[in-house]
Amino acid sequence: MAVQESAAQLSMTLKVQEYPTLKVPYETLNKRFRAAQKNIDRETSHVTMVVAELEKTLSGCPAVDSVVSLLDGVVEKLSVLKRKAVESIQAEDESAKLCKRRIEHLKEHSSDQPAAASVWKRKRMDRMMVEHLLRCGYYNTAVKLARQSGIEDLVNIEMFLTAKEVEESLERRETATCLAWCHDNKSRLRKMKTCKKALQPSRREPAGRGAPGHGHAGLPARHAHLPVQAPESGVRLHRLPWFFLLLTLCILSDLLDPARWRMLIQQFRYDNYRLHQLGNNSVFTLTLQAGLSAIKTPQCYKEDGSSKSPDCPVCSRSLNKLAQPLPMAHCANSRLVCKISGDVMNENNPPMMLPNGYVYGYNSLLSIRQDDKVVCPRTKEVFHFSQAEKVYIM
Amino acid sequence: MADCSLDLPGSSSPPSHLSLLRSWDHRRVPPCPALQGTPLSATLSLVMSQCCRKIKDTVQKLASDHKDIHSSVSRVGKAIDRNFDSEICGVVSDAVWDAREQQQQILQMAIVEHLYQQGMLSVAEELCQESTLNVDLDFKQPFLELNRILEALHEQDLGPALEWAVSHRQRLLELNSSLEFKLHRLHFIRLLAGGPAKQLEALSYARHFQPFARLHQREIQVMMGSLVYLRLGLEKSPYCHLLDSSHWAEICETFTRDACSLLGLSVESPLSVSFASGCVALPVLMNIKAVIEQRQCTGVWNHKDELPIEIELGMKCWYHSVFACPILRQQTSDSNPPIKLICGHVISRDALNKLINGGKLKCPYCPMEQNPADGKRIIF
Repeated sequence: MAVQESAAQLSMTLKVQEYPTLKVPYETLNKRFRAAQKNIDRETSHVTMVVAELEKTLSGCPAVDSVVSLLDGVVEKLSVLKRKAVESIQAEDESAKLCKRRIEHLKEHSSDQPAAASVWKRKRMDRMMVEHLLRCGYYNTAVKLARQSGIEDLVNIEMFLTAKEVEESLERRETATCLAWCHDNKSRLRKMKTCKKALQPSRREPAGRGAPGHGHAGLPARHAHLPVQAPESGVRLHRLPWFFLLLTLCILSDLLDPARWRMLIQQFRYDNYRLHQLGNNSVFTLTLQAGLSAIKTPQCYKEDGSSKSPDCPVCSRSLNKLAQPLPMAHCANSRLVCKISGDVMNENNPPMMLPNGYVYGYNSLLSIRQDDKVVCPRTKEVFHFSQAEKVYIM
Repeated sequence: MADCSLDLPGSSSPPSHLSLLRSWDHRRVPPCPALQGTPLSATLSLVMSQCCRKIKDTVQKLASDHKDIHSSVSRVGKAIDRNFDSEICGVVSDAVWDAREQQQQILQMAIVEHLYQQGMLSVAEELCQESTLNVDLDFKQPFLELNRILEALHEQDLGPALEWAVSHRQRLLELNSSLEFKLHRLHFIRLLAGGPAKQLEALSYARHFQPFARLHQREIQVMMGSLVYLRLGLEKSPYCHLLDSSHWAEICETFTRDACSLLGLSVESPLSVSFASGCVALPVLMNIKAVIEQRQCTGVWNHKDELPIEIELGMKCWYHSVFACPILRQQTSDSNPPIKLICGHVISRDALNKLINGGKLKCPYCPMEQNPADGKRIIF
């Protein structure tokens, strides 16, 4: 591998990159745990109620048939409890096992065998790429790549596929799926800081248009008639708890132009990321930017293209264009590389300057020497080998 | 009368809840019509009350045991928050690539090229389709052939690889590659694994080793020696290491490496090198950003054209020469090129101008005095 990464460096990178890998399944586990607890508590209370009734009947002098019918009730409630508890606990178990699998995978980064470490690094790159592709909307590619690399349960595919369904329904101007999603996540959405800002009334829609009881149960009626902001006054929609905006949209859907739906989709996307505590950019993009910056030098961007190196990633076609707006690497110490051989020029291979000012390594000059003459590869001028002067780099 | 057999759970972990639930047996027997209307006997009444108490206790225990898990679950969450950083700051503003639609396309192109180089052709095709990118055929062609050979190697079919190696024999020899020998060796070992029945075939195949006798004498000796144990079975012999399946993985890697050298490509795609260097650079940059913010000296990273700190990537990542003036501790550029003094020491032009004293210049590293105009611009 060209880039050397020690075990300590790998651990540091893990700390920075792998938060989404573990947080998303943990949040699912948490959600399923709470749902399981709620189910169990509810069914337990039903059972307790029916049993209490049975006990009350027993304390009097009951007839057999009344006892039998009460017992039937108890049995029914118990079987409901059993079924629901089994389902919920199995779901929890699955989530917990997924978390565990991911943690085990991450632990493998510190394996002693170099082959295992390089396999882990390759999987890491594939994992980040899959997540990046999911964010870009290339779902089929991402799923294929995950399957081929064997990392299907190490990436958050389900989360993005759920979001995809909501986005597609919003594109079709249907709000049912999105509202269902809001309802599903309402406790966490409420915890997120969504502040309401007073909006100026829109010029197109008459104020107070929204009817409180439009059939969307669960949304407080007093927020029903929020007018939609006129597009000219800039986008402050992101401050609004946008699910209320949705309600207004349902009412006014045929009056709105596509731009608002696109904004809504965008807003949904960002809120979905925040809900799962992900950033707006993929880890892959941020890592790539940092990496390109660390390799980028002014030589990669010389206009005549003379100093491009075939091995340098930033000199390659696509990455060259990508790295243009990024900062350059910082070098406080000289490091010299011979243009002929690509070897490092240091005390074992001292740099030699030809009379035209171009510098090459001593060993390379020896290898291109013919009849005591050398030809400068860049200017094609011919010089005597003895004309090369040693250069001292501090 | 309904029949319930209850088993109290032994431990409080979820699986035992499941076993508890499974052991509940709720068969029903319809009541006999003759018993209707008659009062319940006292013993039955007692048994029933005991049952009721058991039911209540068990379900309460189920609920409270499940609730006890809550502390473990929340501890997991806290551990994640404590040990991992929830936010990554970018090197530049987040939207530096979003702002230009073209950049996204270029990035997808880079990913497609990477996928081709890694041999994941179907994924690359899918990405081209989904992102409506067009890749020229002559870029794809060498990868298609390589992939075909690699797939055959994965299925332990050495034919295509041998053909390729023979056709590129001359250039492989220039590279000092032992690919052809290794392929022959693997085939021989496979024949050996076939047992005594394949003995004759293995021996006649061994003639292929003749051209490699000089370079790989020791290995040929080992393989010939293993023939002794053919009847007993190689697995129990000292030659069992020959049957190791890691040889197959190794041959794929050797082939990839040699093929890429012939094609003039690096084994690792530019994207993987950049990503790997990013993995090294990212924590360093985040650390320094945190330090800058803590000490409230944000002016240090104002110079948006350059990173604030050097990232150590190892000598293999030195693709270009970089000269940093030892006096000013800055990279040289076209406007401030490196100048070689008469004594052979190199400093930047700005440093040279600063050292001029009364029309004369004294080298900072040796006591030589010289004329500033004698300094020669050098190019690395």
